[in-house]
Amino acid sequence: MSKVFYDHLVIREEVDCELNNYQLDKEEKDELIDIIDRTLHHHILNVILSHLPRNKHPEFISKLHADPGSEGIMEYLKTQIGPYIEEEIKKQSRKVKQEILSEIRKNKIK
Amino acid sequence: MSRSARPQYKINTELLRSRLKLKNIQSENLLKTQHPRAVAMLEAAGVRPGGLRAHASRLLAAGAVATTLMFSPNQPVPAIASLPESSHHEPVSPDIQRQELKNQLKEVLPRQIRPLLENEEKQLSGIFHALYGIHTAAELEGNRLNTDYGFIGAEQHLPRYPGDTVGNHNFLPERGMTPGRGAWGYFTDSKNNLTPDLVSKEKYYVAVQTLYLPDWETRLPYLRDWYKHRKVLVINPRSGKAVVAVIADSGPAIWTGKQFGGSPEVMDYLESKDGRQRGPVIVFFVDDPNDTVPLGPLEYNLEQPQLLISKKI
Repeated sequence: MSKVFYDHLVIREEVDCELNNYQLDKEEKDELIDIIDRTLHHHILNVILSHLPRNKHPEFISKLHADPGSEGIMEYLKTQIGPYIEEEIKKQSRKVKQEILSEIRKNKIK
Repeated sequence: MSRSARPQYKINTELLRSRLKLKNIQSENLLKTQHPRAVAMLEAAGVRPGGLRAHASRLLAAGAVATTLMFSPNQPVPAIASLPESSHHEPVSPDIQRQELKNQLKEVLPRQIRPLLENEEKQLSGIFHALYGIHTAAELEGNRLNTDYGFIGAEQHLPRYPGDTVGNHNFLPERGMTPGRGAWGYFTDSKNNLTPDLVSKEKYYVAVQTLYLPDWETRLPYLRDWYKHRKVLVINPRSGKAVVAVIADSGPAIWTGKQFGGSPEVMDYLESKDGRQRGPVIVFFVDDPNDTVPLGPLEYNLEQPQLLISKKI
């Protein structure tokens, strides 16, 4: 899996472990992981863009497009927004992850 | 991570997939609603917001990091193979853009600092649109300021909420804060409700002489609401710099000899020094009914998002 710059803040293993409890084909599991990953991207981008001054958005998007895995992007965000942005990203990803885990468990066949 | 030797439970895969897809669509819509321009920029470059990881994989597979759309002041932007064909334009640096603006303004602006004539205003609107992709006008919805070309003076920070102090302003606190509220009061009722958008509005604000409008008193309720945080484009013809700001205070007084006031950040960016170095500026309304034009320095063409040219301000 290729790296995105905020991966170290988002703990995906919990979702991965939860899905491993269920009888899923590899393709089925990969598809679900992909959907979850995309959802997380949306939420985290939203957090970042909501905190980053709007006149800095083009600069950020440009850096993101050039190399989504660059550690420099997080350093850039910490400079432009403040160090607290990492905690904001963690908070949002925890919230989304809990919602997704809840959704997975709701669909368990008893 | 521990794994069971054999998965224990069955799951309704179809239903789970549908539910997760719904969450995905909802999150994408929320992102697009709240940040349409940023999403448009990314999509114009061929990447959907949810597809960042796939984009990273493609870059890795291609064996190179996609060339950044940003460039350092001393380096040109190379061709970007991963971008769509439509984005392969000759990039324009902010310095060149500013020089172009200065050159064009010289042809239009009068020698005397005075309210502009209608034909001058039309020409300027055309220039601003061509350079910045932004719709501006000296008169908007039948309203116009007492002048659109005048001197600007330095203003202090405005208190954004009850109890706000100058120490809470991260940018240029040394410029001080007014003892009283701006003409339209606080930006919000408490520090907890201070959003990044409101921070930006105080950061990039201007004062205009609404008190001297001929119908200000007779149409006060309507005009007060209309002018509150009205977006304007402020241009310094001497530096060629442009900034999008909001109207958040009334003034300066006529005896100062100035027609506009700029927040510390506005003045700092425009390089309009107060005191003896009063600089004339052009102030036009921004026609932005969908509130998509961002506040702050304008260094790119909003209608050509692929030309994301900027440098550290």
